[in-house]
Amino acid sequence: MAATRAGPRAREIFTSLEYGPVPESHACALAGRGDPEAPAAAVDPGIPGDWAGCSRGVIGLILPPTFSFLEMMWRICPALAVGCTVVALVPPASPAPLLLAQLAGELGPFPGILNVLSGPASLVPILASQPGIRKVAFCGAPEEGRALRRSLAGECAELGLALGTESLLLLTDTADVDSAVEGVVDAAWSDRGPGGLRLLIQESVWDEAMRRLQERMGRLRSGRGLDGAVDMGARGAAACDLVQRFVREAQSQGAQVFQAGDVPSERPFYPPTLVSNLPPASPCAQVEVPWPVVVASPFRTAKEALLVANGTPRGGSASVWSERLGQALELGYGLQVGTVWINAHGLRDPSVPTGGCKESGCSWHGGPDGLYEYLRPSGTPARLSCLSKNLNYDTFGLAVPSTLPAGPEIGPSPAPPYGLFVGGRFQAPGARSSRPIRDSSGNLHGYVAEGGAKDIRGAVEAAHQAFPGWAGQSPGARAALLWALAAALERRKSTLASRLERQGAELKAAEAEVELSARRLRAWGARVQAQGHTLQVAGLRGPVLRLREPLGVLAVVCPDEWPLLAFVSLLAPALAYGNTVVMVPSAACPLLALEVCQDMATVFPAGLANVVTGDRDHLTRCLALHQDVQAMWYFGSAQGSQFVEWASAGNLKPVWASRGCPRAWDQEAEGAGPELGLRVARTKALWLPMGD
Amino acid sequence: MSAHNRGTELDLSWISKIQVNHPAVLRRAEQIQARRTVKKEWQAAWLLKAVTFIDLTTLSGDDTSSNIQRLCYKAKYPIREDLLKALNMHDKGITTAAVCVYPARVCDAVKALKAAGCNIPVASAGQTHLKTRLEEIRLAVEDGATEIDVVINRSLVLTGQWEALYDEIRQFRKACGEAHLKTILATGELGTLTNVYKASMIAMMAGSDFIKTSTGKETVNATFPVAIVMLRAIRDFFWKTGNKIGFKPAGGIRSAKDSLAWLSLVKEELGDEWLKPELFRIGASTLLSDIERQIYHHVTGRYAAYHDLPMS
Repeated sequence: MAATRAGPRAREIFTSLEYGPVPESHACALAGRGDPEAPAAAVDPGIPGDWAGCSRGVIGLILPPTFSFLEMMWRICPALAVGCTVVALVPPASPAPLLLAQLAGELGPFPGILNVLSGPASLVPILASQPGIRKVAFCGAPEEGRALRRSLAGECAELGLALGTESLLLLTDTADVDSAVEGVVDAAWSDRGPGGLRLLIQESVWDEAMRRLQERMGRLRSGRGLDGAVDMGARGAAACDLVQRFVREAQSQGAQVFQAGDVPSERPFYPPTLVSNLPPASPCAQVEVPWPVVVASPFRTAKEALLVANGTPRGGSASVWSERLGQALELGYGLQVGTVWINAHGLRDPSVPTGGCKESGCSWHGGPDGLYEYLRPSGTPARLSCLSKNLNYDTFGLAVPSTLPAGPEIGPSPAPPYGLFVGGRFQAPGARSSRPIRDSSGNLHGYVAEGGAKDIRGAVEAAHQAFPGWAGQSPGARAALLWALAAALERRKSTLASRLERQGAELKAAEAEVELSARRLRAWGARVQAQGHTLQVAGLRGPVLRLREPLGVLAVVCPDEWPLLAFVSLLAPALAYGNTVVMVPSAACPLLALEVCQDMATVFPAGLANVVTGDRDHLTRCLALHQDVQAMWYFGSAQGSQFVEWASAGNLKPVWASRGCPRAWDQEAEGAGPELGLRVARTKALWLPMGD
Repeated sequence: MSAHNRGTELDLSWISKIQVNHPAVLRRAEQIQARRTVKKEWQAAWLLKAVTFIDLTTLSGDDTSSNIQRLCYKAKYPIREDLLKALNMHDKGITTAAVCVYPARVCDAVKALKAAGCNIPVASAGQTHLKTRLEEIRLAVEDGATEIDVVINRSLVLTGQWEALYDEIRQFRKACGEAHLKTILATGELGTLTNVYKASMIAMMAGSDFIKTSTGKETVNATFPVAIVMLRAIRDFFWKTGNKIGFKPAGGIRSAKDSLAWLSLVKEELGDEWLKPELFRIGASTLLSDIERQIYHHVTGRYAAYHDLPMS
């Protein structure tokens, strides 16, 4: 722990280690120092250099029962290279990490940069809740990841999850079927793949593919890992039990099971297995496919393939086999996964980001995204505030406290109550009630709708309907709409400024706020236009594209302060990158946001931005528990942050919670900084091996 | 020798939809070389098996009867007698599969092998006119060759004239008569792996008994990616018709380690039935001496000097 101060020196020293030269030299090159021979990986130009300023501190790393040495190096080396120190919890009976820690300990003046504990899974919550740990990087099964997410809600440590081992292979009829069969072997029946495989084969090549697959399975050899003539080894008794249960259940549900290969019949060895005719609705088809099973299903067209492939909670990695470039790219872009290989499977390189989405967690390793996991923007506090343990998750935000009638009205009668802005127009709330909003002098400023669970549901549906069209637009078209909104805001400057004045701001400051909001809208529009797809040339003949894709529907709970600026500063990047949003505006004064909605009603397509007012805790609860919201940003109370983190375990949505700390929205670094750009989209690595 | 391939009618639909992905095949080729290593006495056994697949070749401009005679004798006794005795394999009849020479030297080779009873294939290379190639084949068969290696016309493949290619190979088949036909595809000059697959299929459909990668004298000869594609074509032809066609890589196979990799490749892709001299040959000249050195090392534990082993 004392070695955290060593930071940069540790980086230099670590490069001299022989072990894992490739991962850590890449990490050093990306971190901006060190090895001139390492190929310079291009970093996303949208993230300026001072982002790489501060390492997080002590990282707790938890590895799954079957992990490969290379995976472990790819997680440890970047952490050490940017100046973090690591405490790793590894399953018992794995000597490799212990040897690595011993080597790290011999590095002279910095003992303790890598510490390894060898212990059972019950130590995981204990390690995660240690006070000194700043970030927990968990790698393992989805259920354990969920449990960890729930238990770490509100703790000092941030959590990064990399879950699941299943991958996907899409075989179209224009593919080289023999090579695709080799891809299946690489994915599921060699020691390079982490788990099982879902195989989608186009119906017209089903027979051919199955025949070749079965023939190829007959040639596989399994045995002890160090034997030079085997294809795959064993993964331990637990994995063997799991797969036996899976295969028995699959058979009882009517699937056909084919096993072949030259495999010893002792316990931890299991033959390569091919399961077909498994009905998609059967329980077996809902769980992750274990090693070494391949579950094969047919599809008719490429569009159906995308629907079937995206129809599971898994979002790790996939490969597309097609010799037609257009079709391959369409499928590659359409799959909701973290890594797509075209006509290959299982290629990995430390300079290419590897991660997932949906239930595969959203933490990354490798590439620039892997480094950002271990960095925090300069200026943010090193420790997250630790929160209360006594939050009752069942009752938080469940009941809406009733608001009393406003009392006698003074002055001109206010406008009729605003509705909710959902689906491009103002609608009455389901509960048909409103709440009063008071200005800084205590007078009634207006009435806004009291939104509830049904309204949130409707808003999320409207956002989902608008999402495909919006995400499909070019960045230029999106930027044009944002600029139109900025122009509309400027036309409305006097109204907005007068409302801000009533809330207690000075006229000059109010006008400056409106101008800054318009500027931010324009700036985000321009930023996303200027961003291209970074090409990474990994250790491969051919390019690897680092795509930035929209998350989907983003739920944002705006802070109380800066009712206009914060609202616009959060709306602009989300929309610019192709997301659609459901926003809960500032509780103190939602009227500013609703004024902006009046402009959005004319400028934006319906459903793009939806604004729901009401009791903040109740709406937060509805959004956090909603399984179809892809990410959530919460800038409210500390308790709310804790609830949001806890509830995100439901669909493992990425969460950004302020934990009650105020944020200076008018400062560029915090209000429009690179952190927003990083969190508002997700990365996908698209591998394109070349050659003919 | 078993009955030769009668061939089938030309069916272009067998090759119309085929795609071969080059980087994926390259990756498979690397894997095969790494994943099936054989050691110790199994390695010695595999090496002896590899000897029985060799078509001992000499295709030089300066071949005369003396070096042909030496070659034929080496074909009959490929490994030194005492080494074979030490391995207890001296009575198993280990000889090379064949001797491969230019058409003009077939007579000398037949004379030298008269007592031995080995087969003699003839190689005829070059972009010569179809008529001259057919004439060479007939002369070689008259002289006593029992296997013929003929090169196809590459321009037909590069311009996609599959019917013309089929007809040409059909004519070779007729000219060979009862002799075995090995069709040399000259894969180094065919451009893409997809062309290699298509040419292999057409050659088999037209009645070749073996498909061969190259003469051994070109710039790019037998490489693993090309071999993988040809072996897949052989397997697909077997699935469609039930005929087993042989495979022969030639050129560039110099070390014993390479030969083991080739054996593993055939075993992986086609299975044990193809590991017979009737269905698999290796066209090589210096390979035999390297294998002999490996066997010497296995038996004695020492590395041989150049003069310890008889010249070929």
